[in-house]
Amino acid sequence: MPDEPEHELELTSPLVPLFVITNGRALPPDHEYEHTTLVMAAPESAAAARTLSPEAGQVMELVADGFLSVAEVAGHTHLPLGIVRILLAQLEEDGLILVRRPIPRAERVDRELVSAVLDGLKNRFGA
Amino acid sequence: MIRDALVWCLAAVAATAVVAVVALAARNRALGAKKQQSEAELRRQLHTSDSQLHVSRAELQRFRSEQERTLREAKEAAEENTKAVLKGAASFLQSLAAEQTTLLDGIQRKYGGHAVLSDLLEVNHANAQMARKAQGIAVMCGAPLGRRNRPASVYDVVRSAQGQIRNFHRVAIMQQTGLALKASAVAPVALAVAELLDNAASFSQQDAPIEVTFQRIRNNLCIVIDDAGVSMNDEDRQRATELLSGDVVPRLSQLGNQPKFGFPVIGLIARQYGFTVDVTGVSRYGGVRAVVLLPEELWTMEETPQAPEAPVSSIMRNEGRPQTGAARTTHGLPKRGARQAPIASVPDPEAPRSAPRAPQETGRASGRSLGAFQRGTLSGRNPDATSLEGSEDA
Repeated sequence: MPDEPEHELELTSPLVPLFVITNGRALPPDHEYEHTTLVMAAPESAAAARTLSPEAGQVMELVADGFLSVAEVAGHTHLPLGIVRILLAQLEEDGLILVRRPIPRAERVDRELVSAVLDGLKNRFGA
Repeated sequence: MIRDALVWCLAAVAATAVVAVVALAARNRALGAKKQQSEAELRRQLHTSDSQLHVSRAELQRFRSEQERTLREAKEAAEENTKAVLKGAASFLQSLAAEQTTLLDGIQRKYGGHAVLSDLLEVNHANAQMARKAQGIAVMCGAPLGRRNRPASVYDVVRSAQGQIRNFHRVAIMQQTGLALKASAVAPVALAVAELLDNAASFSQQDAPIEVTFQRIRNNLCIVIDDAGVSMNDEDRQRATELLSGDVVPRLSQLGNQPKFGFPVIGLIARQYGFTVDVTGVSRYGGVRAVVLLPEELWTMEETPQAPEAPVSSIMRNEGRPQTGAARTTHGLPKRGARQAPIASVPDPEAPRSAPRAPQETGRASGRSLGAFQRGTLSGRNPDATSLEGSEDA
């Protein structure tokens, strides 16, 4: 609150708002770009990456040499996870990155089933 | 006899005629004198009324100018009063909007992984537009503009301006430059560019692009804004130039019911901070080309310094881990890379570190085994076994 009228206001918020960084693009659906999704720069994307915004360029730089998880990209860029997910969605749409989704839940081994089988075997053959 | 009688008669007639002539001449003379007298009298009267008229005219003139002055003074006083009232309110709104922007930024970072983020971004957009209006009113009332104390790249200043208008996604910034604006110029140039972008957006079609390019001309840096709207006529151009120069400052009461204070605001801040704005050009789309010309006092060739991210990097460095410079990002976070030494869950005895390392070391050991597990899953998922992850020199 201004105590006196001539007090000069100091603006401390980041200069570029986050919605400009994402260019107003909406968040991708929840199941896309999860924490553990791996992303990597597509081959021959370096030239196109030069015309990107500084933030998208930084993401491209991080994933230039190998797969990195979405959570790590967010950590390195100091951007909120949602913003990184929006940027990644845009980059994938432009064909600049390769995305590797984590193994879907259904394909993972069901622990309960395995232990049930184990119990059954134990009962049958006695252990 | 008759002749005598005739002679007498003639004599009598002659005498009568002479008498009459004499009498008439005398009367004539008297009339002439009288006429001159009355003429002189009339002239004098005319002269007097003439001078009286002059006096009255002068007096009337004086009254008129006095009245005008009083009216002007009254208007100015009213203007000043209005400004004083609005100034306080606008400053209040301005600081509240700034506070809200900071708050919103914090909330956006806090809930960055949540679906509420997209709504927060919209709220922040609305807030940014409100902040611009509040700044505009404050400037019109003579209140100081908010200031930033860090230089920023001209690209980011234009992006900041971009966020302050409604249809911001129509704005395309054509190239990045290594040029930076000095801290004192950041806020005013952002506001001026925002007003120009808003103008460009309102006077062109809903989906028409607005292009921003940067040019260096001698010692000046130009921000060029091209729109695809309708161009201005000569009268509009002249009016705009007057307002943008800051020479003509319209009264608040002259701004109308839907006040257009974009150009007056730009004129005021351009004059105050020493840059010029011109909108007389024609864009390559046939619309208006606006040019913000920044003299060399307001910008530098230097790269903008990164915003200090002190907390993170200092924590990382104080842990006393052996540092491998190449494997860290500029922010101090470790980068993933191919491991050069075999993974050992036993602490390295040669590590040059002092006594209180045990708790960190156990943490590291469990971290290592977890890391080994993660690397195993990663290498399993990677088709080409040669490059595992980010290389060391990245």
